[in-house]
Amino acid sequence: MVTLENVHKIYNEGTPQAFDALRSIDLHIDRGETVILSGVSGSGKSTLLSLIAALDKPSSGKIVVNGELISKLPDLHASAYRARQIGVVFQHFNLLEDLNVEENVIVPLVHAGLPLATILQMAQKSMRSAAIEHKAGQPVNRLSGGEKQRCAIARALVHDPELILCDEPTANLDRANSLKFIAMLEMLHGMGKTMIVATHDPLFEALSFVSRVIHMEDGEIVNSEQQ
Amino acid sequence: MKNSAFLHFLTLLLFKQKSKHLGAILISMIIIFLLSSVLFISSSLQQSLLGTLDEQPDFTVSRVEAGRAVNTPVEWIDRITEINGVSKVTGRIYGRYYFAPREKSFLIVGIDFFDEQNSRTLKELVDGIDLKVFLSTPNMLVGEGVRKYLNAHYYKESFSFKTPQGSFKKVNIYKTLPEQTKLIANDMILMPIDLAREIFGISEDEVTDITFNVPNDAEWDNIVAKLHLLFYDVRVVEKREVRKAYENLYNYKGGLFLILYLITIVTFMLILYQRYSMVYSSERKEIGILRAVGWSIKDVLKLKFYETVVVVLVSFVLGVVLAYLYVFIWNAPLLSQIFLGGANLPNKVQFVPVIHFGILGSIFLFYAVPFLAAVLIPAWKIAVTPPKEAML
Repeated sequence: MVTLENVHKIYNEGTPQAFDALRSIDLHIDRGETVILSGVSGSGKSTLLSLIAALDKPSSGKIVVNGELISKLPDLHASAYRARQIGVVFQHFNLLEDLNVEENVIVPLVHAGLPLATILQMAQKSMRSAAIEHKAGQPVNRLSGGEKQRCAIARALVHDPELILCDEPTANLDRANSLKFIAMLEMLHGMGKTMIVATHDPLFEALSFVSRVIHMEDGEIVNSEQQ
Repeated sequence: MKNSAFLHFLTLLLFKQKSKHLGAILISMIIIFLLSSVLFISSSLQQSLLGTLDEQPDFTVSRVEAGRAVNTPVEWIDRITEINGVSKVTGRIYGRYYFAPREKSFLIVGIDFFDEQNSRTLKELVDGIDLKVFLSTPNMLVGEGVRKYLNAHYYKESFSFKTPQGSFKKVNIYKTLPEQTKLIANDMILMPIDLAREIFGISEDEVTDITFNVPNDAEWDNIVAKLHLLFYDVRVVEKREVRKAYENLYNYKGGLFLILYLITIVTFMLILYQRYSMVYSSERKEIGILRAVGWSIKDVLKLKFYETVVVVLVSFVLGVVLAYLYVFIWNAPLLSQIFLGGANLPNKVQFVPVIHFGILGSIFLFYAVPFLAAVLIPAWKIAVTPPKEAML
């Protein structure tokens, strides 16, 4: 499903401030796997996720998702890839604060070419899956951290992506909400989704549905534990 | 219905982010309102003046001595009449009469009402005038401004003019000139030519100037040449020169405002550009989020384009409609004085609605294109940066 070959990412490349964020990353993730990327802040987890999400481009190396070489995709195709194949849950939720939950959830589908009624039905279904349906009309700036997280999940699921990427999903949540989020991940795993979660939250360390925990340090994979 | 989701989302954003757009709409509206008002006023005044000018004779000639206008011999009338192609040659007596109590002057125009054209024009101009009654005793027609000044000094029925001989000539106020002539006749007094001659002390063999028409305008230049051959000391004023002077006067005033408008619009666009370019602006984050959830650069620009078009159209339409109401319904308080303030007597004019769609279209382009550029260029710059950076 996801294959990375010798991926490097250097920020400020060619300048005195050049910084190696990722070094020689080789990784393969199969369909339906749930993989945890662990490591301290600055270890390269989020950078790796953003490369898989085509939010940024690697300095060198190949990233292939579902047989598509996404490391070299032009903008239009990269956008289409993000719109169809992946769902991303960000650490800071990244919701449009002026809109309500339902309006945020439909954002990825605005340019999908679907009738509005279909889009709204898909949003309902997604909000139901993320248990945020009851807050559909609530402006997101009036939601709690946990609710915002569920709204972000609903948005990530609305187009039924095969691959879900979560960047520090519980960093802004309390323990109770973190556990709810983990339960939701388990449900998504049950639905056959492939998931990559970048986190340094110890709650993710011994989860039954997680297939692998990959430890990262200074931009390198130092350890990969099968669960 | 492929675009219905996009329209739905566009409407949502416009309404939910209305506070963000209101400022831009308000400022744009004020700028458009001011410029449209100025153009409406200048177009309306021009139209009114040029309309009045159509009724005026084609040529006015007078005698000059050492470059100074002096009275013109009456015998010139006969000599001009002899020129082929010339018609309706008539002498006029006019001049300014100083009204000491208010330190203002009135323009007295003496007209030969026995002339067929003059009497017809007067009948058309002043509704229900009985020329027999008007000419039977010393009577005058006064402009609105003159009437107000005379009334304020209790000259309600008549006014006594002081002649150069030191005597007084009592003239009755017959009627006030109609509203539509206010623009040029506000400080004017119309009276029979002999009465004006008496008040100014001009002899029988002189007039102030002579007017005539040349129906074939292809002959105008020839006529001017003939006049200069006929009289070495003649000054000829053509109607088209007067027309040009009027046009230039209001184009000049309108032009000043156009420059002010351009300066204002450039400043506003720079502010907009800066606002949309701000590194940590919410705009930036919003674009980053849209890009991160699968929107292409084209999709983002499409949203920003339509969002801006709505803002531009709303502010433009509001500005123009407000300007229309302000000028043509409320008569442009304050602003009208910039155009009419130079008049001899304070004047209030009812502006006749005139809209040049070409000018409005130009305003729209001058405003809409920079506005769109000020929003779309920074939006494009943000959209092409990696979404990860834009969301920071």
